[in-house]
Order: sequence, then structure tokens, then C-alpha cells
Amino acid sequence: MMLDERQLQTLLRLKRYEQPPPEYFERALTEFHRRQRQELLRRSAFQIWFERFVSSLWSFRVPSYAYGVAFSIFLVAATIVGSGVWAPTRTTIDAGRGLSGITATPSAIEVSTNRLALSGRLDWSKFDRAAVSHRVVPVLDPSQTALPRYVLDGRPVSYEASFSF
Amino acid sequence: MDDKALPDDETLVRLTQRGDTRAFDVLWQKYSPRIYSLIYNMTSNHEDANDLLLEVFAKAYRSINGFRGKSSFYTWIHAIAVNMTINFVKKRGRRFQMSLDDMDANVQNDKEFIDLTATNNPVREVDLSELQGRLNEAMMKLSVEHRAVVTMFDIQGMAHAEISKILGIPEATVRSRLFYAHRQLQNYLEEFRKK
Repeated sequence: MMLDERQLQTLLRLKRYEQPPPEYFERALTEFHRRQRQELLRRSAFQIWFERFVSSLWSFRVPSYAYGVAFSIFLVAATIVGSGVWAPTRTTIDAGRGLSGITATPSAIEVSTNRLALSGRLDWSKFDRAAVSHRVVPVLDPSQTALPRYVLDGRPVSYEASFSF
Repeated sequence: MDDKALPDDETLVRLTQRGDTRAFDVLWQKYSPRIYSLIYNMTSNHEDANDLLLEVFAKAYRSINGFRGKSSFYTWIHAIAVNMTINFVKKRGRRFQMSLDDMDANVQNDKEFIDLTATNNPVREVDLSELQGRLNEAMMKLSVEHRAVVTMFDIQGMAHAEISKILGIPEATVRSRLFYAHRQLQNYLEEFRKK
């Protein structure tokens, strides 16, 4: 005769009694404390700090209203830019023009000419060599580092940056 | 200490998160026997159960700051224990060893035990250690996922919904796993009885 469902469940429930003696759990707790202390000693201060930091990130909760506020800010910014009330690009260009007007001094023109020569866009046939100083000192902004490094007599010698001296 | 005097789990978790290690000790005292039983019935090995018990609580302690209280601490620590034990058993492969020598003597006072060993019962001739051995062998024939469900439902008396939360599977899957596991256990115990 086969064991029915109820008898099987009764047999399984009897496995609750397979327990170690009660003092086992006290000993295991002592062992747990010992391992915890060992682990603390083994890990560096940075590791402990990093673990706490990561754990605090997990427990960080963004307030529910923050999403709404962020979306509203985005909408307002998009409306302002989209309606043309404030155009950041045009303002910058206008400002640049104004600046060039102010700084259009002879020395500024020389620097500008030198930059044209360096970029190869200067029409050399119309160039009055006598009127221009032979001392060409290119003024390179950090963004212009791709321009030739060596210039003789106002002409670029090489377009390749040389790293060997 | 009297159970009524103990703070609830939520308070104990909050205290542990603030660095009170004694609060975590209380959680240990409260849950270690259940977690031990869960692991032991899934591994059938006392040494492994002992090591895993310590590892489960160490992991729980390390991760306690990430515990947000979406589920109860009971569910959370059971989920850690089940996942760690499943991973452990899969890595270890089959290694069956009975290392708890004796069943708790209280079993002889259990009404279900008395009923089971009554004269009209088919398993009455089975003595205590044999009964324990048969059950453990039968359990080890199951896959570790099925064993986890049987342990939690039949041995620990958890509800289907609770098991579903712990394992992160639908309740229907819990029921089908139980059905299949019971069938397998019945077949195995029957074959054993015929021998």
C-alpha cells in the first residue's frame, strides 16, 4: 500500500525534530562574532569605508516629488529655449563680434593675419611682405595645438606635429 | 528573555543599521534555528549547514543597510539562506551525509508521530532512525529547488504565498513544484518499502 499525501506530509513534518542541541546555537553565535572580528581585521579601512558607502547608496531614497520637480524644470527650460526668448548660441556670436570690434587694433590684425597664414587660407599673392614684420610669433590657444609647430618666415614648414627633438 | 519583551524585527533591524550589534544578536537568536533547519534539510549535512548558517548571517549583517523593509526580515533572511544554499549545493554536487545522529527525543511525544506508528499504519514497523534515513534519502533524490519548497512548506509550515515571496516565483509554480516533489517522494518511499 502506497503512502498517501497526508501520511507523507506527516512524515515530513517529523523532520522538524532534526535539530542540533540547544547549546549549539550559542556556540555558533560566538563563532559568528569571532569571524566578524577576523573579517574586520583582515579588511583595510578603505574597503570598510567603500562597503559602507555603497551600502548607503543603496539605502538612499529619492523623494517621490523630485521626479516631478526635475521634469518641470526640464519643461520650463525647453519652453524658454524653444520659444526663442533666450538663444544662447546667438548671444555668444554677438558677443564675439562685439569683442572683435573692440580689439581690432594693429597688433590684433597682425595676430589674425598670422593665424590665417598658419591655417593656409591666406592669399600669398596679395601679401605685402615689406609691410609685415619678419618676426612671426604664432599665438596658439590650447585648442589650436593641431597647427604646425615650426614656422619660418611666416610659412609653415611642417603640418605634422613633431615629438622628437 | 521572554519573547514578549523582545522588540519587533523592524526595531531590531533599525537598531542594527545604527550600529547596535546586540540587536543583531537578538535577530540571530530568533531566526538561527529556523535558518539552520532550512539549510540542513536542503543539504542533509551538519557541517555544511553550520558553515552556511554563519555565512548567511554574515551576509545579512553586511547587507543590512540595504534592507529597505519592503518585505519582512523573516522573508529577507530566508531568501538569502535559500539562494546561498541553492548556489552551494549546485557547486558542491551530490554529497549526501547524515551527520545529526539523533532525532530530538521530543518527537516521541508528538501526536503525529504516535499516529504514524499506530498499529493500523503502514509505516509502523519502521523505527525512528530508519524513518529518518529513508526521509533524508528520499529528499536528496529531489532537485535542490524542489527540496527548498518541500522544506519550507512541509517541514517549516510556511504558506504558499510566503514561499513564493522568498523564492521570487509565482504561487502556482510553488504548488506545482510541491505536487511534483510529493509524487517523487511517494514513489521513492514506496520502492524502498517493497525492498
